[in-house]
Amino acid sequence: MAIKSKRYEEARLEASTNLELYWWVFMRISGVVLVFLLIGHMWMNAILTDLNSIDYDYVAKRLSQTTWKIYDLLILGLGLLHGANGLRYVLDDWIRNPSRRFWTKVVLYGLIAFLFVLGSLSLFNHDFGVN
Amino acid sequence: MYRGREGQWAFYLHRLSGLGILVFLMLHVANISSAMWGPEVSNALMKFYHQPVFQLGLLLLIAGVLYHGFNGLRIILMDFTSWGVRYQRQLWYGVWVLFVLFYLPFLVKIGGGILGGGHGD
Repeated sequence: MAIKSKRYEEARLEASTNLELYWWVFMRISGVVLVFLLIGHMWMNAILTDLNSIDYDYVAKRLSQTTWKIYDLLILGLGLLHGANGLRYVLDDWIRNPSRRFWTKVVLYGLIAFLFVLGSLSLFNHDFGVN
Repeated sequence: MYRGREGQWAFYLHRLSGLGILVFLMLHVANISSAMWGPEVSNALMKFYHQPVFQLGLLLLIAGVLYHGFNGLRIILMDFTSWGVRYQRQLWYGVWVLFVLFYLPFLVKIGGGILGGGHGD
């Protein structure tokens, strides 16, 4: 079960397993990191850049620079994990039927894993021919 | 737990924005990764997403990210300080102050773009 406590001490008592407690801690740590990463990401691409000018050349250039490879990988990994675990809390709350809940998770986690592979391939396994 | 007041709204909005952000993130990764298939595929998708309706969606998304992020910081303060739970409602108003401060530049820039007709090709 997801932890409902609002304090770390209570969360530790309520956690059914250590794993559940680690997820609880992970949500907080990844959350803080993501706030800064995402405000930076949105600021760069929506304020400092004209959104409508974003095209293949812009993306290919960004995905070819080491700084943005690391920056984007952090958002990709932390964001998808944070999102997947948040989704797990929601599905545990909202889908009562155990088998339907199980298969919903299988499909959605599979999709999320696929997107992580796709995104990291574009970051580290593709030569866009840009220096 | 919150007797249907601010805290309840804070919770529902957090959940709703979280789900919305996850859906966007998945579409966004698929869209950007399409650059691996070359300029034709990538630019066609970009052009599709540059339509005004998606820019309105983007404004909604940015609102969701800012709310979810700042309310997340509020949750962390409630978890790790001795006073956070007591002042959760005041903290929620603080979330909205930060939200407005950070949202305005995006609203002006993207909203101005939509109204100015500077979208697409």
